[in-house]
Amino acid sequence: MLKTRTIRSGLALAITVALVGTLAACSSGDSSGGDDKSLEVWTRSGPEAAASYQPVFDAFTKKTGIKIDYKPILEFDTQLQARAGQKDLPDVLINDAGSLGNYVSQGFLLPIDKSSIEGSDQIADKTWDENRGTDGKYYGVPWSRQAAVTIIRKDWREKLGLPVPKTWDDLSALGEAFATQDPDGDGVADTYGMVVAGSAQSGYALRWAASYLFQAGGGLLKYNGDGTYKSVVNSPEAATAVEWMRKQFCTPGVVVPGSINLTTADTPFFGQGTAGISLTGPYNISTFEANVGADNVEVIPMPAGPGGGVTSLAEGENIYFGASSKKTDLQKQLAEFLITPEAQELAMKVTTNEAGVVSQPVVRIPVNKTVDVAAVTGDPRWTVAADAYNDSENFPYAIDFLPFRQIAADELNAMLSDCNSDIPAGLKKIDDGFVAELKNQNLSQ
Amino acid sequence: MTTLSNGPAVSVERPRPSTGMAERPPQRRRRFTRRSLIPWLFLVPGLLLGVIFKFGPMIEGIRMSFVKVQPFLGDEFIGLDNYVKVLSDQRFLDALAHTVVLGGGQAIGALILGTGLALLLEGSSRRLWFVRTAVFLPVVTAVAVVGEIWRILLFPTESGFINSILGMVGIQAQGFLSDPNTSLGYVMAVGIWISAPYNMVIILAGLAGIDRALYESAAVDGVTTWQRLRYIVFPALRPALSVVLTLAAIRSLRIFTEVFVLTGGGPAGSTEVWMTRVFSLGFKGNDLGVASAASVLLLVATLVLTVSVRMVSNRKERAR
Amino acid sequence: MSAIHEQPLKAAKRLRTDGQFDSALGWKPGWRASNLLRLVLCIVVFFIFAAPFVLIASGAFDAAADSTALHLFPSQPSLEPMNVATGRGVWGYFLNSLVIVGGGLVLQISIAILTSYALARHRFRGQSFVLLLFLLTMMLPEEIIAIPLSQVLGDVGGLGINLRGTPWGVILPIAVWGFSILLMTEFMKEIPLEIEEAARLDGVGELRMLWTIILPLCKPVLGVVTIFGFMMIWDQYLLPLIAANDPSDYTLTVALSVLRADAQVGSGVLLFGALLALLPSLLIYLLMQKSLIRGITSGATKG
Repeated sequence: MLKTRTIRSGLALAITVALVGTLAACSSGDSSGGDDKSLEVWTRSGPEAAASYQPVFDAFTKKTGIKIDYKPILEFDTQLQARAGQKDLPDVLINDAGSLGNYVSQGFLLPIDKSSIEGSDQIADKTWDENRGTDGKYYGVPWSRQAAVTIIRKDWREKLGLPVPKTWDDLSALGEAFATQDPDGDGVADTYGMVVAGSAQSGYALRWAASYLFQAGGGLLKYNGDGTYKSVVNSPEAATAVEWMRKQFCTPGVVVPGSINLTTADTPFFGQGTAGISLTGPYNISTFEANVGADNVEVIPMPAGPGGGVTSLAEGENIYFGASSKKTDLQKQLAEFLITPEAQELAMKVTTNEAGVVSQPVVRIPVNKTVDVAAVTGDPRWTVAADAYNDSENFPYAIDFLPFRQIAADELNAMLSDCNSDIPAGLKKIDDGFVAELKNQNLSQ
Repeated sequence: MTTLSNGPAVSVERPRPSTGMAERPPQRRRRFTRRSLIPWLFLVPGLLLGVIFKFGPMIEGIRMSFVKVQPFLGDEFIGLDNYVKVLSDQRFLDALAHTVVLGGGQAIGALILGTGLALLLEGSSRRLWFVRTAVFLPVVTAVAVVGEIWRILLFPTESGFINSILGMVGIQAQGFLSDPNTSLGYVMAVGIWISAPYNMVIILAGLAGIDRALYESAAVDGVTTWQRLRYIVFPALRPALSVVLTLAAIRSLRIFTEVFVLTGGGPAGSTEVWMTRVFSLGFKGNDLGVASAASVLLLVATLVLTVSVRMVSNRKERAR
Repeated sequence: MSAIHEQPLKAAKRLRTDGQFDSALGWKPGWRASNLLRLVLCIVVFFIFAAPFVLIASGAFDAAADSTALHLFPSQPSLEPMNVATGRGVWGYFLNSLVIVGGGLVLQISIAILTSYALARHRFRGQSFVLLLFLLTMMLPEEIIAIPLSQVLGDVGGLGINLRGTPWGVILPIAVWGFSILLMTEFMKEIPLEIEEAARLDGVGELRMLWTIILPLCKPVLGVVTIFGFMMIWDQYLLPLIAANDPSDYTLTVALSVLRADAQVGSGVLLFGALLALLPSLLIYLLMQKSLIRGITSGATKG
């Protein structure tokens, strides 16, 4: 008996020693040298978008011999913060254009000398100008642009014999028809109209509402031209827009029930065949096709708002240079390659990789003027998407827009969740919040 | 007073000072004896790892609450500005009220339900084993998935699962999580559903430790079930209940995941709790200083609550 | 002390004919009203707690799983969700999780045992403060600790040790867990002093005392600490994220959120991932359940 005990405690000791030993062994950590010909590149993407980036980077490596250590990262900002804490950012980051102001304010990015980037003249000046920080310097090389489009279940619409919606009222009526007239013909009332991520988290409510706000003639922040901004959110036009949006939420079935609490990850309704109208980026065309069939996905020109406005929310992705990187020349080479027609076209292709992942195009509307969307995709729906981008408006990229986004989304969520909400008071609250935040960021006149 | 009230109290009784050390003669209490070093030797591994991976980062987190965090530009000391920003945000104050209601309600609900489940399901038969396993399922399932399932069950139309059950008994369709007036209540219900099985397991472990002879002697004395619970079971469950209550104190104020996956704090901020606000303002807004300040406030509140709970449960212990 | 209940104890021996002393409420076998009530309650409880799981399991093998409608049985039974999930590399993430949970649990429980032995069976200055210190580790939201911790992981203690991309980056930070220390301490305090004193008179040393006398008496609580420790490590989300050097270092829990955001895979794939993620915890729970039921204190004092 005593023997077993000794053996046991000996064993415990051995385990402890082994643990410590292994720990010491892995201390010979991997330090990434600064002189090698490789770049660590992060993109904010899931597997589908990663499948689209990979061939582009492969082509770059083949051409230049520069290795790409590619990491598709979904929780981009969490992991970026973790790396920032160590003052060791990736060499190149490809992420939302909307992050520019925030990253600049934290010192994450290196300024870019536009004139030294080969091919920079193939990108429209307007696109370049979006990438200026508040100090007037460029902080990102444009990579892709897009605007929200309205995507509709064509087979449902045709089954119910309804025309392509041309106005907000048409769209509303179509949504109600999808909810009440059983477009999938299964005899059960299990279909709905619009897919909306209405949660205030991460500003989703605003991301959906912004297009309708613009279409009604409303706005958020107006640039004064001298480095300052003005809040223009509290307007009768905005009130009209919010009222219409609230009506969609308050008419049973037009918006998928429960949407007020949902984020985009919770709203797979279009792909699942439970809802037939989606206001989303054109990158979802391929995903939706894979889910509900290629012929059933229809991209329509934006239904016009009360004053005939069809402006939708524009977004984009930029190539950023991490501030801690010493590989300036390699960064530049990668950016120069990424804006060539070759790379842009490669990133627009929908392919299926060996793991069975259908890629999601990561260049949506190419920034390179010489690339023709219609010619590359051969798909008229992408022409509609390109037209939508031509009449679009974006959140200001230069400033740290995240606090504004949160303020607006919080109040929008509140106004949309209650069918008797006081809309003028809600807009006033957003306005007050905007004014205070402008002051806080030293952006008010 | 029945004989029972003394009987079990004595036999469940354990040495008050907890160890044999206290009964040693006082002259042995020199400052650094070998004996007094022994407990510290046992504490070394835990304290060492704690200092490196917990306390160090924690102190750094507290420091962040006094600065504008910007690793690449150099942190800028701004005193209490982050705290002012938190305490002057109306949504934070609303969130505080929701947190207290939700955390308190959920803790009490889960304690009662957990105790009830443990009492109902204690026993060694195969069927009980089966039901106990089923009850434990919410605990082993990823909270994000559980949240999704409940959102579907609580689908706010007549065809929704729970609404259709309510419809059968003539209750009209509820808005559940999408109605700002009821959302907090349903989040609480789901929270209780998730955490009650945790408590059940801890309390089961407590029940398992009760001396069976006490039940036998109680039976001989012919006591009622209630007396048995009151004088044998609950006193013997003290360590288990103390753990459950301490954990509730630590967890209730930082309630986050359930809320985040069920409603994200909406609709209209009706389920916004302290941590969801920290999340959207601090982390999604990349303002780590504000997030840290809000978290330090939470830490202080939690600490006060925990110490109070420990003091109450220790006093009860002494009173026995 | 023992003399007090010696009398009733003898009397009770005669009564010990059925299982009525197995439970706190004194459930008795046989057909009676209380058992009927218990049966009904058990059925209700079973459905309330198990139904969502059945929905997950059914969705995991349903090619047409849908996030707005629920089925108790797959509407199109298929292994497709599993195949898609395999294509997304879930088994690799599963393996990462197993490695981390294996190492982490051994270390976490060892630390909890050593620490709580000191806290429960010894008396020293600053005792309750030390316990509070360990509890404190649970109080600051991990999101706040995450950023400074990621610095530590890149350079442990300023020694140039980089734990990123290794399982140690997750294992070491979760080794100290206030919950297991609290639970072990509270329950270890309950062990009667006489047992320890008898051993001490036999000249048993501290380590052996812990290993052979105290620990065997802590079985129920060790079971609880194992279950919850396992799940605590298994469910870690933020830590594996910041300790990862590359997406291939992700654990299954992190991968689940990637699957959730993946519009191309249906709900079935996510549910399959969720099912896969809950099975190990369930298995551990089943293995540990026995230790929750047996009354041990009584047996120990007598034996």
